[in-house]
Amino acid sequence: MDWTIFLFIFIKLNNLKFIFSTALLLSLFIAVLAGFADSASNAASNSQSSTSQMPTSISHVSASTTTSMATSSTTSVKSVGTPTAKQSSVSVGPLLYQGSSVRATQSQINQGKVLFIENCSSCHGIDASGSVRAPNLVGLGPATIQFWVTTGRMPLSNPIIQPIRKPSRFNSSQTLDIVAYVSSLGPGGILIPNMNGVNSASISDGASLFALNCAGCHTITGAGDALASGAYAPSLHQATPTQVAEAIRTGPANMPRFNSGNISDAHLNDIVKYVTQGIQRPNNAGGWGLGGVGPVAEGFIGLLIGVGLLVLASLWIGERD
Amino acid sequence: MEKLTTKDLLKNLKPNKDNKLSPQERAANAGRWIDERLGAAKGGRTFFNKIFPDHWSFMLGEIALYSFVVLLVTGVFLSLYFDPSSTMLTYHGSYKPLDGTQVSAAYNSTLAISFNVRFGLLVRQMHHWGADIFLGAIAVHMCRIFFTGAFRKPREINWIVGVTLLILGIVNGFLGYSLPDDLISGTGLRIMFSVLESIPVVGTHLAFWLFGGNYPGNGVIIPRMYMLHILVIPAIIAGLVGAHLFMLVRQKHTQFPGKGRTEHNVVGTPMWPGFMFKTQGFLFLTVAVLALLGGLAQINPIWQYGQYFPYKVSYAVQPDWYMGWLDGALRIMPSWEISAFGYMIPNQFFPSILFPGIAFNIFIIWPFLEARMTKDRDIHNLLDRPRDRPKRTAVGTGALAFFFMLFFASSTDVLANYLSVSLNLVLWFFRIATYVVPIVVALVTYKICIELQLAGKNAGRRKRFNVVIRTEEGEYVAQKSPAREGDMDVLSEHGEIPLELNDRVSHVIRQSADSIGVESKKSKTTT
Repeated sequence: MDWTIFLFIFIKLNNLKFIFSTALLLSLFIAVLAGFADSASNAASNSQSSTSQMPTSISHVSASTTTSMATSSTTSVKSVGTPTAKQSSVSVGPLLYQGSSVRATQSQINQGKVLFIENCSSCHGIDASGSVRAPNLVGLGPATIQFWVTTGRMPLSNPIIQPIRKPSRFNSSQTLDIVAYVSSLGPGGILIPNMNGVNSASISDGASLFALNCAGCHTITGAGDALASGAYAPSLHQATPTQVAEAIRTGPANMPRFNSGNISDAHLNDIVKYVTQGIQRPNNAGGWGLGGVGPVAEGFIGLLIGVGLLVLASLWIGERD
Repeated sequence: MEKLTTKDLLKNLKPNKDNKLSPQERAANAGRWIDERLGAAKGGRTFFNKIFPDHWSFMLGEIALYSFVVLLVTGVFLSLYFDPSSTMLTYHGSYKPLDGTQVSAAYNSTLAISFNVRFGLLVRQMHHWGADIFLGAIAVHMCRIFFTGAFRKPREINWIVGVTLLILGIVNGFLGYSLPDDLISGTGLRIMFSVLESIPVVGTHLAFWLFGGNYPGNGVIIPRMYMLHILVIPAIIAGLVGAHLFMLVRQKHTQFPGKGRTEHNVVGTPMWPGFMFKTQGFLFLTVAVLALLGGLAQINPIWQYGQYFPYKVSYAVQPDWYMGWLDGALRIMPSWEISAFGYMIPNQFFPSILFPGIAFNIFIIWPFLEARMTKDRDIHNLLDRPRDRPKRTAVGTGALAFFFMLFFASSTDVLANYLSVSLNLVLWFFRIATYVVPIVVALVTYKICIELQLAGKNAGRRKRFNVVIRTEEGEYVAQKSPAREGDMDVLSEHGEIPLELNDRVSHVIRQSADSIGVESKKSKTTT
């Protein structure tokens, strides 16, 4: 609600408009209250439809996690202890990794459920079946969940058109717990890709495949760019190998999905290698890389620094009178 | 040192049988040798006696001239190593991420220049920065000529030559940008093919003829562009630069009005001794700035882009800045389908053929257009201050704002990404702002010019208070307060003897009792 500060400044500056501003402020305040009431009732209806949990306790948990997520986990285990007992019918956890027989353990699922309820359930619901604000996550598979959580895009800080990348709220084992819990709710989806083949992959094939499949949105230097109507292709300079592979396989947000029919596992490794070793470590042999956005930055430098310095030189040589 | 005449030299030459000539005599001998054969003394005298005004703004054209020199030198170096061929081969060079991929000979040789030729990357980057700065300097120089009215009679022809140089510079810059056959320039070439194709009636024939068939043609476009880029257009540019400078010497420089400056003289520094050293210094500074940019700031890293294939495309593709306004016009053009004579005229014809055609034609005919509008057909060697021609200045800044908006419109996607706003919003902003901003800029400029003019006339003469005093009889008298401190010198210069050095109204009122008698009598006679 930081915009209210501007309203106060507005009032301060325009004493004559004080009454009008107060009325505006009040109406906005009421609107915000109404919005909160609306979201609270939404959360309540979701939880009621899914489990027999008390709606008030959920909103309390989700509110407390925003301030002290890590510390509250031990206490909330007790408070939601009963539903985990229901889930104990899953004797063996879901598969998480591609080409591996490692399964999620029951303790991972239990821990994940706690984290999920604290951080995700206010939108996605306790059983991850979605709400009017958020999609159903059941059956999406480990790769999707891991991508959204490790890139920090989930939990969402601000419901805009496309979530932005930010530091992840969880460490890798907490993330896997959440992945295990959501994957335990239903079968299907894509497993976390195996990155063992990246070292032996071909970077030049990766460059060619990247130009063909990825550069159309992410640009050839991987700097990212704006797409239509507020959507954008993000920069690839911070993506980890696993995240690149997960994004290709699962197609997050506006990105298309490339399955193994489009891009084979070997080619996937080539692209991952090119992104993490070519694009993220560009060969800027010519000097200052100018952000990798090409002629726009070059034009500004050429005109401001190049022509600018030479105009200053002419001021130095010539007379100013 | 005394001046040497030919007679003195001849006298001196005879007794010097041991052939020991002073350096001056040797130089004079050499000069005479040339003069006897070519008659160079007369032209040389004109050249060495040529007077250059000292004002800094007269040096802007030289930035363009010297970057052109750098372009020629670096271009010759690059032509030693560049292979203008579309023949595909397998790359096995120094840049490992492309090892084993199919590349054209042109792209391969540009990579070799960048990674394997000693000084290759520096020279290539200097050449590219040089092109950006060459056209930037032309634009800045053109602004100086325009806003000071230096294009007026008798210099209309030189203005047209200058505009032609600008057009040729843009064309040659685009051709050079397209030569390395990388992913980004290939996309630009694809756009150019479509632009040529959009010309009604002849478009398809023209595009197919230039490219040797439908896009991407049969591999002839790179050799053809190379021939134009390194031979035909530079030769025309060099010839026109010569004509530009010849006319400059022949017509003599313009100058700003000032003490001792008239329509019939030029005040400044002669070529020798004086300006020669300044301009040489400027050449070195231009080379220095280009070397600095070429060595430190990376431009067009084609190895990051890869070989161009028509089926591959990168987003965020922009041309070099001097083509940016055309790209911007293309971007903001609404998707209208306009038909004439039963045929649809391709949409891109309007922003990328018709618009620059009209723009350049207005540039070319501007001196005549202005002469017709102002009915001023006199010879002008003294320049205008921009504020004294508010209408021209307003038109100029409006046009500049228009081209700047188009230039920024060429980076809609990059702006949207950096400002985290919708691309559509940015596009619509430019669709409107491109027309609104120039009008606002022109109006504001006009107003500022008028204000500056007034400031010039009333310099040092700030407004004075009108003090209304009520006399003892009940009569009201208006009295002007004394001039304010600092304005005194000006007032006395203008023959106005200032009143007392009091600038406080209260003080004036306190003293008013003495002056009322006089003032009220005066006011009675006037009213």
